[in-house]
Amino acid sequence: MWAILKKECKTYFASPIGYVFIGLFLAMFSILFYITTISQGVTTFQYVFFYSAMYSLVFIIPLLTMRMFAEERKNGTEQLLLTSPRNMIEITLGKFLAATLVILITEIFTLVYFGILCYFKTPDIPAVAVSMLGFLLLSMAYIAFGMFISSLTENQIIAAVVTIAAFVLTWLAPNISMKLVSFSLIEQFYPFVTGVFPIAETINLLLLTIMFIILTIIVMKRRKLVK
Amino acid sequence: MIEVKNVTKKYGNFLAVDNISFTVNDGEVVGFLGQNGAGKTTTMNMITGFIEPTEGQIIVNGLDIHKKPTTVKKQIGYMPEGVPLYTELTVKEFVKYMAELKKVSRKERKEKIELVLKETGLEEVANRQIRNLSRGYKQRVSLAGALIGNPEVIILDEPTVGLDPKQITDIRALIKNLGKKHTVILSSHILSEVSQICDKVIIINKGKIVAIDTPESLEKKTQSKNALLITVEDKENNMIKLKEEIPEILECKLIKDNEDGTKQYVVESEVEVDLRKKMFEVLPKKEITIFELKKAEQSLEDAFITLIENNTQEIKEEKQKDTRENQKKDKKEENKSTEEKKAKKNKSSKKENGGNN
Repeated sequence: MWAILKKECKTYFASPIGYVFIGLFLAMFSILFYITTISQGVTTFQYVFFYSAMYSLVFIIPLLTMRMFAEERKNGTEQLLLTSPRNMIEITLGKFLAATLVILITEIFTLVYFGILCYFKTPDIPAVAVSMLGFLLLSMAYIAFGMFISSLTENQIIAAVVTIAAFVLTWLAPNISMKLVSFSLIEQFYPFVTGVFPIAETINLLLLTIMFIILTIIVMKRRKLVK
Repeated sequence: MIEVKNVTKKYGNFLAVDNISFTVNDGEVVGFLGQNGAGKTTTMNMITGFIEPTEGQIIVNGLDIHKKPTTVKKQIGYMPEGVPLYTELTVKEFVKYMAELKKVSRKERKEKIELVLKETGLEEVANRQIRNLSRGYKQRVSLAGALIGNPEVIILDEPTVGLDPKQITDIRALIKNLGKKHTVILSSHILSEVSQICDKVIIINKGKIVAIDTPESLEKKTQSKNALLITVEDKENNMIKLKEEIPEILECKLIKDNEDGTKQYVVESEVEVDLRKKMFEVLPKKEITIFELKKAEQSLEDAFITLIENNTQEIKEEKQKDTRENQKKDKKEENKSTEEKKAKKNKSSKKENGGNN
């Protein structure tokens, strides 16, 4: 697993993808940071995470996930991976954790903004910590889903478009009918921002992540039979 | 040792590999021969565990690849078709990644990587990104990836495609060298390559094994006539009458009229008859000067084409037979139904007639 994790990280940062992802995210984060805190004169740093989850994460997560399996399949490197003495669980987890690591690195960068706020007034630290954790959990669920879509196709663009479409649909679902609220991951994330650690939502997001990781493993294992 | 037992692979209704069985012994170099789409790659993909057979069993060194995939895969080095590589990595990074994937222990890793890079002649480009390398080098990187970890079985899918002649001879020499210590399976459609490198040839056509044999005996088996190529100076055109002189000659054909006055003929006889001695005795008497005389040996290429053609013919004939039988059945059924109809008609007309009476 470590071998795959290491190589995937290398790929993120040997190609522009890793930098583009972090750059785009931080650009959006800066704008939202200015709008929601500086211009309002408040220090509710946790809300920046909420808005950036809504307005930027949804659109840029596919940058990390679209290539995961689709690229390997297209280039044929899938053969190298699947004929190596590694099982599907290791391969999938390695790839998943590499993308999660990129998110973690991005979150560390956002601490700079936290520092800026501290200059004015120390924000509510527990609330920020909980929302950062929630942000990570939400990203993990998104990554797992994006990875699953990537395992279904060999076309990266299709993987990206389907992933974004699914995210936007679940995001807007509660606007159509409140019955669909449980589909919306953003709604799952909202309680974290309030600063109270929500156990139910944490379990929910974790289960969702695990479910899509398992689905990916099943898809990849099944391909041996149908390919 | 690799045992392939009654393996079949279906894609929907398409039979890619049709009930094949063969064994590859330790230390053997085996070549898969076949036209494009014959099932070579599919078979290799099944041996390496990349895809699963629809039916049948593949056993590598006593272990079923389906039941013990990780143990078996560790013993196999695979160079897939079309040399897939992580082009964003450098050569060294790639080989290191492959070593890690194959669970080469940390202690040995560095040493083994150096060794493989040296074996495949990649030392000069070790720190260059793979995407910037030429095709020949990429091929070698792929080969290095297969060799790392010193696997007992090495499977190479078309290892020399797209290389220049110098690189081809290099790679062939390398494979031959590998054959001393490893079991090697390679596929190719270059026949001379297979006859040079391999101890055993497996010819596949349309998913079926046509022949398993050594290259030499395959050539012999498919030879139907003995042919001599003979270049002569023959001013009085006596060569045409040669058949009357030597009754064993089946055919004597002019194939080339050279500008310097010499002519080249091909003289054919039965396989068991060697005419060379007789030619030297008879021709001078007929005032024919021999410039050159040699036995035309049938190459593996001819053997391959004969086998494939025969096999394809057989398959076609079988199909025709089937369709003919089906047609016959259909006809019989048709006849039956028309007869029944007729019988019914007769009955009804009889009834009518009866009614009238």
